[in-house]
Amino acid sequence: MPQEYGDRVSLHLDVNNGLDSVTELVHTRLVESGWKDEVRLACRKAIVESGDRVPTVDELISTITPKARALIREKVKRELLYKIEHILMNLEKVGYKDLEDI
Amino acid sequence: MSTVGCEHFQEFKSNPNNLDTLRWVHSVFVVGSSKDKRTGLNYNYHQTKIMNSFCHTCNNRGPNLHACIDCVFFGCLPHIREHTKEEHHDFSLELTYGQVHCTKCGDYIYDSELDEINKTNRKRSDTFHRRLFECSTWNPTEEEKDLLTLYTQRVCITDKSQIGLRGLVNFRITCYMNSVVQVLMHTPLLRDYFLSERHFCKTDSESCLMCILSNVFQEFYNGDKVPLLLHKLLHFIWTHAPHVGGDVQQDAHEFFIETLGLLHKHCAESINHTSHAVVTNNCSCIIHESFTGSLQSDIVCQKCKGVSTTIEPIWDFALDLVPGALTLVECLKHFTKAELLDNFSMCESCGLPRQVTKQLSIKTLPTVVTFQLKRFKKSDEGHGKVATKIQFTEMLDMTPFMSTKKADSPFPSDNMYSLFAVINHQGETSYAGHYIAYVRQLKDHWYKCNDEVISRVGLDEVLFSEGYILFYHKHVLGYK
Ligand SMILES: [Zn+2]
Ligand SMILES: [Zn+2]
Ligand SMILES: [Zn+2]
Ligand SMILES: [Zn+2]
Ligand SMILES: [Zn+2]
Ligand SMILES: [Zn+2]
Repeated sequence: MPQEYGDRVSLHLDVNNGLDSVTELVHTRLVESGWKDEVRLACRKAIVESGDRVPTVDELISTITPKARALIREKVKRELLYKIEHILMNLEKVGYKDLEDI
Repeated sequence: MSTVGCEHFQEFKSNPNNLDTLRWVHSVFVVGSSKDKRTGLNYNYHQTKIMNSFCHTCNNRGPNLHACIDCVFFGCLPHIREHTKEEHHDFSLELTYGQVHCTKCGDYIYDSELDEINKTNRKRSDTFHRRLFECSTWNPTEEEKDLLTLYTQRVCITDKSQIGLRGLVNFRITCYMNSVVQVLMHTPLLRDYFLSERHFCKTDSESCLMCILSNVFQEFYNGDKVPLLLHKLLHFIWTHAPHVGGDVQQDAHEFFIETLGLLHKHCAESINHTSHAVVTNNCSCIIHESFTGSLQSDIVCQKCKGVSTTIEPIWDFALDLVPGALTLVECLKHFTKAELLDNFSMCESCGLPRQVTKQLSIKTLPTVVTFQLKRFKKSDEGHGKVATKIQFTEMLDMTPFMSTKKADSPFPSDNMYSLFAVINHQGETSYAGHYIAYVRQLKDHWYKCNDEVISRVGLDEVLFSEGYILFYHKHVLGYK
Protein backbone atom coordinates (compact mmCIF):
# COMPACT_ATOMS: atom_id res chain seq x y z
CA MET A 1 0.00 0.00 0.00
CA PRO A 2 1.46 3.38 -0.93
CA GLN A 3 2.27 5.33 2.21
CA GLU A 4 0.20 8.32 1.19
CA TYR A 5 -2.98 6.34 0.76
CA GLY A 6 -2.46 4.73 4.12
CA ASP A 7 -2.12 8.06 5.82
CA ARG A 8 -5.26 9.37 4.19
CA VAL A 9 -7.29 6.41 5.33
CA SER A 10 -5.79 6.62 8.79
CA LEU A 11 -6.74 10.24 8.91
CA HIS A 12 -10.30 9.51 7.88
CA LEU A 13 -10.62 6.94 10.58
CA ASP A 14 -8.94 9.00 13.24
CA VAL A 15 -10.66 12.38 12.98
CA ASN A 16 -13.24 12.59 15.77
CA ASN A 17 -12.78 8.89 16.51
CA GLY A 18 -14.49 7.97 13.25
CA LEU A 19 -13.42 4.35 13.48
CA ASP A 20 -14.75 3.98 16.99
CA SER A 21 -18.06 5.62 16.26
CA VAL A 22 -18.67 3.54 13.14
CA THR A 23 -17.67 0.34 14.94
CA GLU A 24 -20.04 1.08 17.80
CA LEU A 25 -22.84 1.94 15.39
CA VAL A 26 -22.41 -1.30 13.44
CA HIS A 27 -22.38 -3.22 16.67
CA THR A 28 -25.51 -1.53 18.02
CA ARG A 29 -27.44 -2.03 14.80
CA LEU A 30 -26.54 -5.69 14.50
CA VAL A 31 -27.70 -6.34 18.05
CA GLU A 32 -30.85 -4.24 17.69
CA SER A 33 -31.93 -5.83 14.45
CA GLY A 34 -31.72 -9.29 16.00
CA TRP A 35 -28.85 -10.30 13.72
CA LYS A 36 -26.61 -11.25 16.60
CA ASP A 37 -29.19 -13.66 18.02
CA GLU A 38 -29.68 -15.26 14.63
CA VAL A 39 -25.95 -15.77 14.18
CA ARG A 40 -25.72 -17.22 17.66
CA LEU A 41 -28.50 -19.68 16.82
CA ALA A 42 -26.76 -20.60 13.55
CA CYS A 43 -23.54 -21.29 15.50
CA ARG A 44 -25.37 -23.46 18.02
CA LYS A 45 -26.94 -25.40 15.20
CA ALA A 46 -23.60 -25.90 13.46
CA ILE A 47 -22.02 -27.14 16.70
CA VAL A 48 -24.86 -29.55 17.42
CA GLU A 49 -24.81 -30.87 13.85
CA SER A 50 -21.07 -31.44 13.86
CA GLY A 51 -21.58 -34.29 16.35
CA ASP A 52 -18.83 -35.39 18.72
CA ARG A 53 -16.02 -33.31 17.34
CA VAL A 54 -16.49 -29.70 18.44
CA PRO A 55 -15.50 -27.41 15.57
CA THR A 56 -12.82 -24.79 16.20
CA VAL A 57 -13.76 -21.13 16.16
CA ASP A 58 -11.94 -20.75 12.83
CA GLU A 59 -14.03 -23.55 11.31
CA LEU A 60 -17.19 -21.94 12.65
CA ILE A 61 -16.14 -18.58 11.23
CA SER A 62 -15.63 -20.03 7.78
CA THR A 63 -18.96 -21.89 7.71
CA ILE A 64 -21.04 -19.16 9.35
CA THR A 65 -19.56 -16.00 7.76
CA PRO A 66 -21.30 -16.29 4.36
CA LYS A 67 -24.64 -17.05 6.01
CA ALA A 68 -24.18 -14.29 8.55
CA ARG A 69 -23.35 -11.72 5.88
CA ALA A 70 -26.50 -12.66 3.99
CA LEU A 71 -28.57 -12.20 7.14
CA ILE A 72 -27.74 -8.53 7.62
CA ARG A 73 -30.87 -6.44 7.09
CA GLU A 74 -30.99 -4.25 4.01
CA LYS A 75 -32.06 -1.36 6.20
CA VAL A 76 -28.94 -1.65 8.33
CA LYS A 77 -26.68 -1.80 5.26
CA ARG A 78 -28.34 1.25 3.75
CA GLU A 79 -28.00 3.25 6.93
CA LEU A 80 -24.33 2.40 7.33
CA LEU A 81 -23.60 3.25 3.73
CA TYR A 82 -25.31 6.58 4.22
CA LYS A 83 -23.39 7.27 7.43
CA ILE A 84 -20.02 6.39 5.98
CA GLU A 85 -20.67 8.41 2.84
CA HIS A 86 -21.67 11.34 5.00
CA ILE A 87 -18.57 11.07 7.15
CA LEU A 88 -16.25 10.88 4.14
CA MET A 89 -17.94 13.72 2.31
CA ASN A 90 -17.78 16.00 5.31
CA LEU A 91 -14.18 15.10 5.96
CA GLU A 92 -13.26 16.34 2.52
CA LYS A 93 -14.78 19.63 3.53
CA VAL A 94 -13.82 19.92 7.16
CA GLY A 95 -11.23 17.35 8.15
CA TYR A 96 -8.33 18.49 6.03
CA LYS A 97 -8.87 22.14 6.68
CA ASP A 98 -8.65 21.52 10.41
CA LEU A 99 -5.53 19.48 9.98
CA GLU A 100 -3.75 22.14 7.96
CA ASP A 101 -4.06 24.41 10.96
CA ILE A 102 -2.09 22.04 13.15
CA MET B 1 -15.64 -21.24 39.07
CA SER B 2 -12.62 -20.16 37.12
CA THR B 3 -11.69 -21.04 33.59
CA VAL B 4 -8.21 -22.26 32.85
CA GLY B 5 -6.72 -21.98 29.37
CA CYS B 6 -4.59 -24.66 27.69
CA GLU B 7 -1.30 -26.05 29.06
CA HIS B 8 0.59 -23.85 26.60
CA PHE B 9 -0.99 -20.78 28.08
CA GLN B 10 -0.21 -21.93 31.64
CA GLU B 11 3.43 -22.13 30.66
CA PHE B 12 3.24 -18.74 28.97
CA LYS B 13 1.73 -17.24 32.12
CA SER B 14 4.52 -18.58 34.33
CA ASN B 15 6.67 -15.75 33.02
CA PRO B 16 5.07 -12.54 34.38
CA ASN B 17 6.66 -10.48 31.59
CA ASN B 18 4.53 -12.33 29.09
CA LEU B 19 1.29 -11.31 30.79
CA ASP B 20 2.53 -7.73 30.97
CA THR B 21 3.09 -7.73 27.22
CA LEU B 22 -0.38 -9.14 26.66
CA ARG B 23 -1.91 -6.57 28.97
CA TRP B 24 -0.13 -3.76 27.14
CA VAL B 25 -1.08 -4.95 23.63
CA HIS B 26 -4.67 -5.33 24.86
CA SER B 27 -4.90 -1.81 26.26
CA VAL B 28 -3.32 -0.21 23.18
CA PHE B 29 -4.85 -2.18 20.33
CA VAL B 30 -8.11 -3.53 21.72
CA VAL B 31 -9.22 -0.76 24.09
CA GLY B 32 -7.25 2.16 22.63
CA SER B 33 -6.68 4.11 25.84
CA SER B 34 -5.61 3.67 29.41
CA LYS B 35 -5.60 5.66 32.60
CA ASP B 36 -2.67 5.37 34.93
CA LYS B 37 -4.04 4.71 38.41
CA ARG B 38 -1.14 6.27 40.30
CA THR B 39 -0.58 9.37 38.21
CA GLY B 40 -4.15 9.75 37.02
CA LEU B 41 -2.80 10.44 33.53
CA ASN B 42 -4.73 9.42 30.48
CA TYR B 43 -2.94 7.66 27.69
CA ASN B 44 -4.75 7.85 24.44
CA TYR B 45 -3.60 5.27 21.93
CA HIS B 46 -6.23 5.88 19.26
CA GLN B 47 -3.64 7.14 16.82
CA THR B 48 -1.16 4.33 17.48
CA LYS B 49 -4.03 1.90 17.14
CA ILE B 50 -5.23 3.26 13.82
CA MET B 51 -1.78 3.74 12.30
CA ASN B 52 -0.82 0.13 13.04
CA SER B 53 -4.04 -1.74 12.62
CA PHE B 54 -3.55 -3.32 9.23
CA CYS B 55 -2.41 -6.73 8.04
CA HIS B 56 1.34 -6.79 7.44
CA THR B 57 0.87 -9.31 4.64
CA CYS B 58 -2.07 -8.00 2.59
CA ASN B 59 -2.38 -4.44 3.99
CA ASN B 60 -6.10 -4.81 4.64
CA ARG B 61 -7.58 -3.50 7.85
CA GLY B 62 -9.42 -6.69 8.54
CA PRO B 63 -11.64 -8.46 9.07
CA ASN B 64 -10.54 -10.28 12.20
CA LEU B 65 -7.28 -8.45 12.70
CA HIS B 66 -4.90 -10.09 15.19
CA ALA B 67 -1.64 -9.03 16.82
CA CYS B 68 1.11 -11.60 17.38
CA ILE B 69 2.14 -11.68 21.02
CA ASP B 70 5.65 -13.02 20.31
CA CYS B 71 6.76 -10.40 17.81
CA VAL B 72 5.53 -7.23 16.19
CA PHE B 73 3.20 -8.56 13.54
CA PHE B 74 -0.38 -7.75 12.67
CA GLY B 75 -2.41 -9.95 10.40
CA CYS B 76 -5.91 -10.61 9.16
CA LEU B 77 -7.44 -14.00 9.75
CA PRO B 78 -5.66 -16.13 7.13
CA HIS B 79 -2.38 -14.19 7.40
CA ILE B 80 -2.00 -14.24 11.18
CA ARG B 81 -2.48 -18.01 11.14
CA GLU B 82 0.08 -18.28 8.36
CA HIS B 83 2.51 -16.15 10.37
CA THR B 84 2.20 -17.92 13.73
CA LYS B 85 2.48 -21.27 12.03
CA GLU B 86 5.55 -20.45 9.97
CA GLU B 87 7.35 -18.55 12.74
CA HIS B 88 6.25 -20.96 15.49
CA HIS B 89 4.83 -18.10 17.49
CA ASP B 90 2.40 -19.34 20.11
CA PHE B 91 -0.23 -16.70 20.79
CA SER B 92 -2.09 -14.00 18.96
CA LEU B 93 -4.64 -11.50 20.21
CA GLU B 94 -7.83 -10.77 18.28
CA LEU B 95 -8.19 -6.98 18.28
CA THR B 96 -11.95 -6.38 18.32
CA TYR B 97 -12.98 -8.41 21.34
CA GLY B 98 -9.57 -9.21 22.81
CA GLN B 99 -9.74 -13.00 22.44
CA VAL B 100 -6.50 -15.01 22.58
CA HIS B 101 -5.69 -17.72 20.04
CA CYS B 102 -3.24 -20.55 20.77
CA THR B 103 -1.30 -21.76 17.75
CA LYS B 104 -0.56 -25.20 19.18
CA CYS B 105 -4.17 -25.87 20.17
CA GLY B 106 -5.41 -24.38 16.90
CA ASP B 107 -8.22 -22.55 18.71
CA TYR B 108 -9.08 -19.67 21.00
CA ILE B 109 -8.56 -20.19 24.70
CA TYR B 110 -10.54 -18.96 27.68
CA ASP B 111 -8.76 -18.13 30.87
CA SER B 112 -9.77 -16.24 34.01
CA GLU B 113 -6.68 -14.12 33.86
CA LEU B 114 -7.59 -13.00 30.34
CA ASP B 115 -11.01 -12.02 31.65
CA GLU B 116 -9.27 -10.05 34.36
CA ILE B 117 -7.09 -8.21 31.83
CA ASN B 118 -10.15 -7.35 29.78
CA LYS B 119 -11.99 -6.17 32.88
CA THR B 120 -9.25 -3.88 34.20
CA ASN B 121 -8.38 -2.46 30.80
CA ARG B 122 -11.93 -1.63 29.80
CA LYS B 123 -12.40 0.08 33.17
CA ARG B 124 -9.40 2.30 32.50
CA SER B 125 -10.65 3.18 29.07
CA ASP B 126 -11.74 6.75 28.44
CA THR B 127 -14.80 5.60 26.51
CA PHE B 128 -17.37 2.91 27.05
CA HIS B 129 -16.97 -0.08 24.74
CA ARG B 130 -20.01 -2.27 24.84
CA ARG B 131 -18.37 -5.03 22.86
CA LEU B 132 -15.83 -5.61 25.63
CA PHE B 133 -18.61 -6.45 28.04
CA GLU B 134 -20.07 -9.17 25.89
CA CYS B 135 -17.19 -11.57 25.68
CA SER B 136 -16.31 -12.36 29.26
CA THR B 137 -17.48 -15.28 31.33
CA TRP B 138 -20.51 -14.77 33.51
CA ASN B 139 -20.27 -15.90 37.11
CA PRO B 140 -23.78 -15.86 38.54
CA THR B 141 -24.16 -14.59 42.09
CA GLU B 142 -25.71 -16.81 44.78
CA GLU B 143 -29.01 -15.01 44.31
CA GLU B 144 -28.89 -15.50 40.55
CA LYS B 145 -28.11 -19.19 41.04
CA ASP B 146 -31.19 -19.56 43.24
CA LEU B 147 -33.33 -17.83 40.65
CA LEU B 148 -31.94 -20.06 37.93
CA THR B 149 -32.84 -23.24 39.82
CA LEU B 150 -36.31 -21.93 40.62
CA TYR B 151 -37.18 -20.84 37.11
CA THR B 152 -36.20 -23.57 34.74
CA GLN B 153 -38.75 -22.86 32.06
CA ARG B 154 -37.15 -21.05 29.17
CA VAL B 155 -38.99 -18.68 26.92
CA CYS B 156 -37.65 -18.18 23.44
CA ILE B 157 -38.81 -14.91 21.94
CA THR B 158 -39.33 -15.44 18.22
CA ASP B 159 -41.24 -13.64 15.50
CA LYS B 160 -44.32 -15.59 16.50
CA SER B 161 -44.15 -14.90 20.24
CA GLN B 162 -47.20 -13.25 21.64
CA ILE B 163 -45.64 -12.13 24.88
CA GLY B 164 -46.31 -8.48 25.40
CA LEU B 165 -49.47 -8.47 23.30
CA ARG B 166 -52.51 -8.13 25.53
CA GLY B 167 -55.95 -6.88 24.79
CA LEU B 168 -57.41 -4.43 27.28
CA VAL B 169 -61.06 -4.62 28.33
CA ASN B 170 -63.09 -1.53 27.48
CA PHE B 171 -64.89 -0.77 30.72
CA ARG B 172 -67.40 2.03 30.31
CA ILE B 173 -65.71 3.87 27.44
CA THR B 174 -62.10 3.54 28.48
CA CYS B 175 -60.61 3.14 25.02
CA TYR B 176 -58.71 6.43 25.47
CA MET B 177 -57.03 4.93 28.53
CA ASN B 178 -56.45 1.57 26.87
CA SER B 179 -54.74 3.24 23.91
CA VAL B 180 -52.40 5.23 26.15
CA VAL B 181 -51.61 2.19 28.29
CA GLN B 182 -50.79 0.16 25.16
CA VAL B 183 -48.31 2.84 24.14
CA LEU B 184 -46.71 3.00 27.60
CA MET B 185 -46.41 -0.82 27.63
CA HIS B 186 -44.52 -0.66 24.33
CA THR B 187 -42.24 2.28 25.10
CA PRO B 188 -38.82 0.57 25.18
CA LEU B 189 -37.33 2.76 27.92
CA LEU B 190 -40.32 2.36 30.23
CA ARG B 191 -40.60 -1.36 29.55
CA ASP B 192 -36.95 -1.87 30.48
CA TYR B 193 -37.36 0.23 33.57
CA PHE B 194 -40.50 -1.43 34.90
CA LEU B 195 -39.65 -5.00 33.97
CA SER B 196 -36.29 -4.72 35.69
CA GLU B 197 -38.17 -3.55 38.79
CA ARG B 198 -36.31 -0.35 39.36
CA HIS B 199 -39.06 1.49 41.21
CA PHE B 200 -38.45 1.19 44.93
CA CYS B 201 -41.50 2.59 46.54
CA LYS B 202 -41.03 4.76 49.56
CA THR B 203 -44.65 5.74 49.85
CA ASP B 204 -47.90 3.85 50.13
CA SER B 205 -48.01 1.60 47.08
CA GLU B 206 -51.82 1.69 47.02
CA SER B 207 -51.73 5.36 46.16
CA CYS B 208 -48.61 5.26 43.98
CA LEU B 209 -49.19 5.31 40.24
CA MET B 210 -45.67 3.98 39.65
CA CYS B 211 -46.54 0.85 41.66
CA ILE B 212 -49.84 0.45 39.85
CA LEU B 213 -48.18 0.77 36.47
CA SER B 214 -45.46 -1.62 37.64
CA ASN B 215 -48.16 -4.22 38.31
CA VAL B 216 -49.76 -3.60 34.95
CA PHE B 217 -46.36 -4.23 33.28
CA GLN B 218 -45.89 -7.49 35.20
CA GLU B 219 -49.36 -8.73 34.24
CA PHE B 220 -49.05 -7.50 30.71
CA TYR B 221 -45.84 -9.43 30.08
CA ASN B 222 -46.60 -12.61 32.05
CA GLY B 223 -47.43 -14.63 28.95
CA ASP B 224 -51.19 -14.91 29.50
CA LYS B 225 -53.48 -14.18 26.59
CA VAL B 226 -56.77 -13.13 28.16
CA PRO B 227 -57.52 -9.42 27.90
CA LEU B 228 -56.66 -7.40 30.99
CA LEU B 229 -59.04 -5.22 32.89
CA LEU B 230 -57.15 -2.26 34.32
CA HIS B 231 -59.37 -2.00 37.39
CA LYS B 232 -56.69 -0.69 39.77
CA LEU B 233 -55.58 1.93 37.32
CA LEU B 234 -59.18 2.94 36.64
CA HIS B 235 -59.93 3.21 40.32
CA PHE B 236 -56.81 5.26 40.83
CA ILE B 237 -57.66 7.68 38.03
CA TRP B 238 -61.24 8.02 39.26
CA THR B 239 -60.06 8.91 42.73
CA HIS B 240 -56.92 10.94 41.91
CA ALA B 241 -57.65 12.61 38.60
CA PRO B 242 -61.41 12.55 38.12
CA HIS B 243 -61.27 15.26 35.46
CA VAL B 244 -59.62 12.85 33.04
CA GLY B 245 -61.48 9.71 34.05
CA GLY B 246 -65.22 10.17 34.23
CA ASP B 247 -67.91 8.10 32.64
CA VAL B 248 -67.64 9.99 29.39
CA GLN B 249 -65.13 9.68 26.62
CA GLN B 250 -61.94 11.58 27.41
CA ASP B 251 -59.23 13.06 25.29
CA ALA B 252 -56.40 10.53 25.04
CA HIS B 253 -53.78 13.25 24.90
CA GLU B 254 -55.01 14.97 28.08
CA PHE B 255 -55.01 11.61 29.79
CA PHE B 256 -51.50 10.86 28.57
CA ILE B 257 -50.08 14.15 29.86
CA GLU B 258 -51.94 13.81 33.16
CA THR B 259 -50.57 10.28 33.57
CA LEU B 260 -46.99 11.40 32.93
CA GLY B 261 -47.44 14.16 35.51
CA LEU B 262 -48.70 11.76 38.17
CA LEU B 263 -46.03 9.17 37.38
CA HIS B 264 -43.34 11.81 37.74
CA LYS B 265 -44.81 13.00 41.03
CA HIS B 266 -44.91 9.54 42.56
CA CYS B 267 -41.57 8.51 41.12
CA ALA B 268 -39.91 11.66 42.42
CA GLU B 269 -41.43 11.10 45.87
CA SER B 270 -39.68 7.76 46.00
CA ILE B 271 -36.31 9.09 44.91
CA ASN B 272 -36.30 11.74 47.62
CA HIS B 273 -37.41 14.61 45.53
CA THR B 274 -39.30 17.40 47.13
CA SER B 275 -40.19 19.14 43.91
CA HIS B 276 -43.74 18.59 42.84
CA ALA B 277 -43.64 20.82 39.84
CA VAL B 278 -45.02 18.99 36.84
CA VAL B 279 -42.12 19.82 34.58
CA THR B 280 -38.76 20.58 36.10
CA ASN B 281 -35.49 20.66 34.31
CA ASN B 282 -33.40 18.58 36.62
CA CYS B 283 -35.77 15.87 37.80
CA SER B 284 -34.11 12.48 37.53
CA CYS B 285 -37.27 10.38 37.49
CA ILE B 286 -37.76 7.87 34.67
CA ILE B 287 -40.51 9.99 33.14
CA HIS B 288 -38.29 13.03 32.90
CA GLU B 289 -35.38 10.95 31.70
CA SER B 290 -37.51 9.63 28.87
CA PHE B 291 -39.85 12.44 27.90
CA THR B 292 -38.22 15.79 28.69
CA GLY B 293 -36.53 17.92 26.11
CA SER B 294 -36.18 21.67 25.91
CA LEU B 295 -37.49 24.31 23.62
CA GLN B 296 -35.59 27.48 22.76
CA SER B 297 -37.49 30.64 22.01
CA ASP B 298 -35.67 33.51 20.28
CA ILE B 299 -37.25 36.94 20.25
CA VAL B 300 -35.50 39.08 17.63
CA CYS B 301 -35.87 42.85 17.54
CA GLN B 302 -36.55 43.97 13.99
CA LYS B 303 -34.68 47.22 14.54
CA CYS B 304 -31.40 46.26 16.19
CA LYS B 305 -31.56 42.51 15.54
CA GLY B 306 -30.91 41.97 19.24
CA VAL B 307 -31.90 38.48 20.36
CA SER B 308 -33.36 37.50 23.69
CA THR B 309 -33.41 33.78 24.27
CA THR B 310 -35.41 31.74 26.73
CA ILE B 311 -35.30 27.99 27.21
CA GLU B 312 -38.16 25.95 28.54
CA PRO B 313 -38.59 22.26 29.26
CA ILE B 314 -41.07 20.45 27.05
CA TRP B 315 -42.88 17.11 27.26
CA ASP B 316 -44.66 16.93 23.98
CA PHE B 317 -44.99 18.87 20.79
CA ALA B 318 -48.47 20.12 20.08
CA LEU B 319 -48.53 20.87 16.38
CA ASP B 320 -51.05 23.14 14.70
CA LEU B 321 -52.67 21.89 11.54
CA VAL B 322 -52.29 24.74 9.10
CA PRO B 323 -53.32 24.97 5.47
CA GLY B 324 -50.52 23.77 3.22
CA ALA B 325 -48.81 21.63 5.82
CA LEU B 326 -49.64 18.07 4.85
CA THR B 327 -46.73 16.19 6.38
CA LEU B 328 -45.31 15.94 9.86
CA VAL B 329 -42.12 17.60 8.64
CA GLU B 330 -44.11 20.51 7.23
CA CYS B 331 -45.97 20.86 10.52
CA LEU B 332 -42.64 20.94 12.32
CA LYS B 333 -41.32 23.54 9.87
CA HIS B 334 -44.34 25.67 10.67
CA PHE B 335 -43.78 25.09 14.38
CA THR B 336 -40.17 26.32 14.17
CA LYS B 337 -40.78 29.16 11.72
CA ALA B 338 -39.89 32.75 12.68
CA GLU B 339 -43.12 34.66 13.16
CA LEU B 340 -43.72 38.38 13.28
CA LEU B 341 -45.65 39.09 16.48
CA ASP B 342 -48.72 41.30 16.31
CA ASN B 343 -47.87 43.30 19.39
CA PHE B 344 -44.75 45.36 19.95
CA SER B 345 -42.42 43.98 22.55
CA MET B 346 -39.89 45.67 24.81
CA CYS B 347 -36.38 45.31 23.32
CA GLU B 348 -33.71 45.17 26.01
CA SER B 349 -30.93 46.57 23.82
CA CYS B 350 -32.99 49.39 22.30
CA GLY B 351 -34.82 50.07 25.54
CA LEU B 352 -37.91 50.70 23.46
CA PRO B 353 -40.95 48.74 22.40
CA ARG B 354 -40.17 47.26 19.00
CA GLN B 355 -41.61 45.00 16.41
CA VAL B 356 -40.18 41.52 17.05
CA THR B 357 -40.16 38.04 15.57
CA LYS B 358 -40.43 34.94 17.65
CA GLN B 359 -38.86 31.65 16.63
CA LEU B 360 -39.01 28.31 18.39
CA SER B 361 -36.36 25.64 18.00
CA ILE B 362 -35.49 22.46 19.83
CA LYS B 363 -32.60 22.83 22.22
CA THR B 364 -32.48 19.25 23.44
CA LEU B 365 -34.47 16.27 22.29
CA PRO B 366 -36.03 13.78 24.67
CA THR B 367 -35.52 10.07 24.09
CA VAL B 368 -39.21 9.69 23.43
CA VAL B 369 -40.65 12.42 21.24
CA THR B 370 -44.41 12.83 21.25
CA PHE B 371 -46.32 14.82 18.67
CA GLN B 372 -49.91 15.75 19.17
CA LEU B 373 -51.57 16.81 15.94
CA LYS B 374 -54.04 19.41 17.15
CA ARG B 375 -57.08 18.01 15.39
CA PHE B 376 -59.62 19.31 17.88
CA LYS B 377 -60.46 22.96 17.54
CA LYS B 378 -62.21 24.54 20.48
CA SER B 379 -64.39 26.90 18.48
CA ASP B 380 -67.89 28.31 18.83
CA GLU B 381 -69.29 25.29 17.07
CA GLY B 382 -67.90 22.95 19.73
CA HIS B 383 -64.95 20.61 19.47
CA GLY B 384 -64.85 20.07 15.77
CA LYS B 385 -62.24 17.77 14.37
CA VAL B 386 -59.87 18.51 11.52
CA ALA B 387 -59.52 15.20 9.72
CA THR B 388 -56.78 16.27 7.27
CA LYS B 389 -54.40 13.42 6.59
CA ILE B 390 -50.96 14.38 7.84
CA GLN B 391 -48.29 12.19 6.34
CA PHE B 392 -45.67 10.81 8.70
CA THR B 393 -42.78 8.46 8.14
CA GLU B 394 -41.21 5.57 9.97
CA MET B 395 -37.89 7.37 10.33
CA LEU B 396 -37.66 11.01 11.29
CA ASP B 397 -34.56 13.19 11.30
CA MET B 398 -35.02 16.02 13.80
CA THR B 399 -31.79 17.81 12.85
CA PRO B 400 -33.45 20.63 10.83
CA PHE B 401 -35.49 21.70 13.87
CA MET B 402 -32.65 21.90 16.36
CA SER B 403 -31.38 25.19 17.80
CA THR B 404 -27.77 24.53 16.88
CA LYS B 405 -27.48 23.07 13.45
CA LYS B 406 -24.23 21.21 13.31
CA ALA B 407 -24.28 21.18 9.54
CA ASP B 408 -20.55 21.64 9.37
CA SER B 409 -19.64 18.90 11.78
CA PRO B 410 -17.86 15.99 10.08
CA PHE B 411 -20.35 13.64 11.67
CA PRO B 412 -24.05 13.61 11.13
CA SER B 413 -25.53 14.48 14.50
CA ASP B 414 -27.60 11.57 15.61
CA ASN B 415 -31.10 13.00 15.72
CA MET B 416 -32.75 10.03 14.06
CA TYR B 417 -36.03 8.87 15.53
CA SER B 418 -38.17 5.90 14.65
CA LEU B 419 -41.91 5.59 15.00
CA PHE B 420 -43.00 3.09 17.64
CA ALA B 421 -46.62 3.95 18.34
CA VAL B 422 -49.56 5.93 17.00
CA ILE B 423 -52.85 6.76 18.70
CA ASN B 424 -55.77 7.36 16.38
CA HIS B 425 -59.15 8.86 16.99
CA GLN B 426 -62.19 7.76 15.04
CA GLY B 427 -65.21 10.03 15.12
CA GLU B 428 -66.24 13.66 15.06
CA THR B 429 -65.19 15.21 18.39
CA SER B 430 -62.68 14.45 21.12
CA TYR B 431 -65.43 13.62 23.60
CA ALA B 432 -67.14 11.15 21.35
CA GLY B 433 -65.86 8.48 19.03
CA HIS B 434 -63.31 5.81 19.60
CA TYR B 435 -59.56 5.53 20.20
CA ILE B 436 -57.23 2.83 18.94
CA ALA B 437 -53.46 2.45 19.13
CA TYR B 438 -50.86 1.00 16.80
CA VAL B 439 -47.75 -0.30 18.54
CA ARG B 440 -44.44 -1.69 17.36
CA GLN B 441 -43.40 -4.99 18.90
CA LEU B 442 -40.04 -6.77 18.51
CA LYS B 443 -38.18 -5.43 15.50
CA ASP B 444 -40.63 -4.32 12.84
CA HIS B 445 -43.91 -5.94 13.77
CA TRP B 446 -46.91 -3.71 14.09
CA TYR B 447 -50.12 -4.45 15.94
CA LYS B 448 -53.42 -2.68 16.07
CA CYS B 449 -54.77 -2.50 19.61
CA ASN B 450 -58.50 -2.00 19.59
CA ASP B 451 -59.45 -2.61 23.23
CA GLU B 452 -59.76 -6.43 23.61
CA VAL B 453 -58.72 -7.13 20.05
CA ILE B 454 -55.09 -7.16 18.98
CA SER B 455 -54.37 -7.77 15.32
CA ARG B 456 -51.21 -7.88 13.28
CA VAL B 457 -50.98 -5.12 10.66
CA GLY B 458 -48.45 -3.92 8.14
CA LEU B 459 -46.44 -0.75 8.55
CA ASP B 460 -48.38 0.68 5.58
CA GLU B 461 -51.65 0.60 7.47
CA VAL B 462 -50.01 2.49 10.33
CA LEU B 463 -48.51 5.12 8.05
CA PHE B 464 -51.76 5.55 6.11
CA SER B 465 -53.81 6.05 9.25
CA GLU B 466 -55.02 9.51 10.25
CA GLY B 467 -52.71 9.97 13.23
CA TYR B 468 -53.59 11.87 16.38
CA ILE B 469 -50.64 11.31 18.72
CA LEU B 470 -47.40 10.09 17.16
CA PHE B 471 -44.69 8.51 19.30
CA TYR B 472 -41.09 8.40 18.14
CA HIS B 473 -38.17 6.84 19.99
CA LYS B 474 -34.56 7.89 19.59
CA HIS B 475 -33.19 5.45 17.10
CA VAL B 476 -29.92 4.75 18.82
CA LEU B 477 -29.38 5.32 22.49
CA GLY B 478 -26.19 7.24 23.08
CA TYR B 479 -23.87 5.87 25.70
CA LYS B 480 -20.77 7.44 27.18
ZN1 LIG C 1 -3.95 -10.24 5.46
ZN1 LIG D 1 4.95 -13.37 15.51
ZN1 LIG E 1 -2.62 -24.21 23.59
ZN1 LIG F 1 -44.60 3.15 44.26
ZN1 LIG G 1 -39.79 13.82 37.20
ZN1 LIG H 1 -33.78 46.33 19.54
